[in-house]
Amino acid sequence: MISEEYRGAKQWSRDKQAVFTVVWISFLSAAIGSMVFFALFDPVDLSVLFDQDLEIGRDAGYAAGFFFFWVLCALCSAVTAFLVRTAPKRDAKHRQQ
Amino acid sequence: MSTPQSASMYESAKKIYPREIGGRFANLSKIATTMLLGLFYAVPWLMWDGRQAFLFDLPARKFYLLGLTLWPQDFPYLALLLIIAALSLFFFTALAGRLWCGFACPQTVWTEAFIWIEHFTEGTRSQRMKLDKAPWSLSKFRKKASKQFLWITFSMWTGFTFVGYFAPIRELGLDILGFSVGGSTLFWGSFYGFATYGNAGYMREQVCKYMCPYARFQSAMFDKDTLIISYDENRGEPRGGRKRSVDRKAAGLGDCIDCELCVQVCPTGIDIREGLQNECIACAACIDACDSIMDKMNYPRGLVRYTTEHSLHNETTRVLRPRMFIYAALLVILCTTLITSMAMRTPIILDVIRDRNTLYRELPNNMIENIYTIKIINQSNDARAFILSVSGVAGITLDGIDDAVRVDGGGVMSLPIRARAHRDSAYGVNEIEFGLAALDDESVKISEDSRFLGPTP
Repeated sequence: MISEEYRGAKQWSRDKQAVFTVVWISFLSAAIGSMVFFALFDPVDLSVLFDQDLEIGRDAGYAAGFFFFWVLCALCSAVTAFLVRTAPKRDAKHRQQ
Repeated sequence: MSTPQSASMYESAKKIYPREIGGRFANLSKIATTMLLGLFYAVPWLMWDGRQAFLFDLPARKFYLLGLTLWPQDFPYLALLLIIAALSLFFFTALAGRLWCGFACPQTVWTEAFIWIEHFTEGTRSQRMKLDKAPWSLSKFRKKASKQFLWITFSMWTGFTFVGYFAPIRELGLDILGFSVGGSTLFWGSFYGFATYGNAGYMREQVCKYMCPYARFQSAMFDKDTLIISYDENRGEPRGGRKRSVDRKAAGLGDCIDCELCVQVCPTGIDIREGLQNECIACAACIDACDSIMDKMNYPRGLVRYTTEHSLHNETTRVLRPRMFIYAALLVILCTTLITSMAMRTPIILDVIRDRNTLYRELPNNMIENIYTIKIINQSNDARAFILSVSGVAGITLDGIDDAVRVDGGGVMSLPIRARAHRDSAYGVNEIEFGLAALDDESVKISEDSRFLGPTP
């Protein structure tokens, strides 16, 4: 039957699930983070804090901020996913399976 | 996990070929897709008072929404708007299930558009399946190439439109025609275009299944009165094929003829007859499919239908239940707050910073002077004249300021100001209040507290 082609079809491997979920959820978090952050702070004002000569435009500032948040969030959720997936199993019953 | 799977990230998974189906809900979905995509692509081209009607001008840190200009200081409105959006999602989920997923989610809408293109270039479901199995030939290449050409063009247009919400789209168009696009524009445009291409062309239902947080937690908002799409097991079972002429009651069969059309049309590749599943995005394609078969068989429609768990079990469905009232009440409160606060918003901002270097200065004639930096932001679109005043200490006056301060529309002005008062009325720390009022409109005024320091008595 045709539907057999579907049943259980297109399962992502656990690794693939983890990678895509981490990338996507950290993207969303970074979007929210940079929205709040840049509503409060102007990248042009911030660049002065780092280096008086640093002339960074707002566009580049926003992009840098967004990617900083993205990497940070991705790191956080990747480590979380890793720890959850590699944690010792809860009881012996699990281990035997 | 129980299913053995290869650990490779690149395993080629079986592809889902959703079969095209016409019907009530397919029409609804076509209307929704056309409207939403139409809005997305058209809105940046709308003009208002000689400028783009909807422009999120990040480089200038200003959002233009029709006649309204929002500043970073107006961020609470955006936050409130997002909370309202989330709450509406809860409300509609509790009421009608995954309406959002099936008809309004960008993932669904763009996937739909990409499938239209696929259908246009590669043909129907069975033609597509045959094409993919066939060895490479000129005609296969032609079909695949034209699909890719349309997909990529559409994606690029999508990326361009997306950037057009953040940079004036008309100038952007001219820049593209002149091959002089800025780096960041090119980057974000390609970024969004590529995401559209990948998500709508290839990832499709996988995004809903594996990556969408809403798809996972929406079931928490479901109850037995929520509208769901369900197969009526009591009516359908025992399922089985039969000729149209067969009397199903005599043959001991239910209404389901096991044609599997509902499975073939499903964009997420599930069998609705197995019950409510997490993968179901409630697109209602299976309802259309089943209804078309029921019509052919001269059976009543609705073997697969919108229903509730209560009504499936022959109990009464209650639309008006406490949870709906709570969501609705919260929504009303938040919307009212947003609208009134925006209506009462004063389009000026006044900042007063006291000079921290000197506490106060003593002038001849027993006068005491404090120095302030005043920052005036005119958020309206037109230039305005303002009167600055101060009160709180007897006989306090301002020096270093003209009668009226003119600030350009959308402009910021910083002014050093000296406030003076007689020594006798200014001992110690005095609370004072600066006031700023527009000359042309009495209702536009604002005040800001500060301090006036004098000698210890």
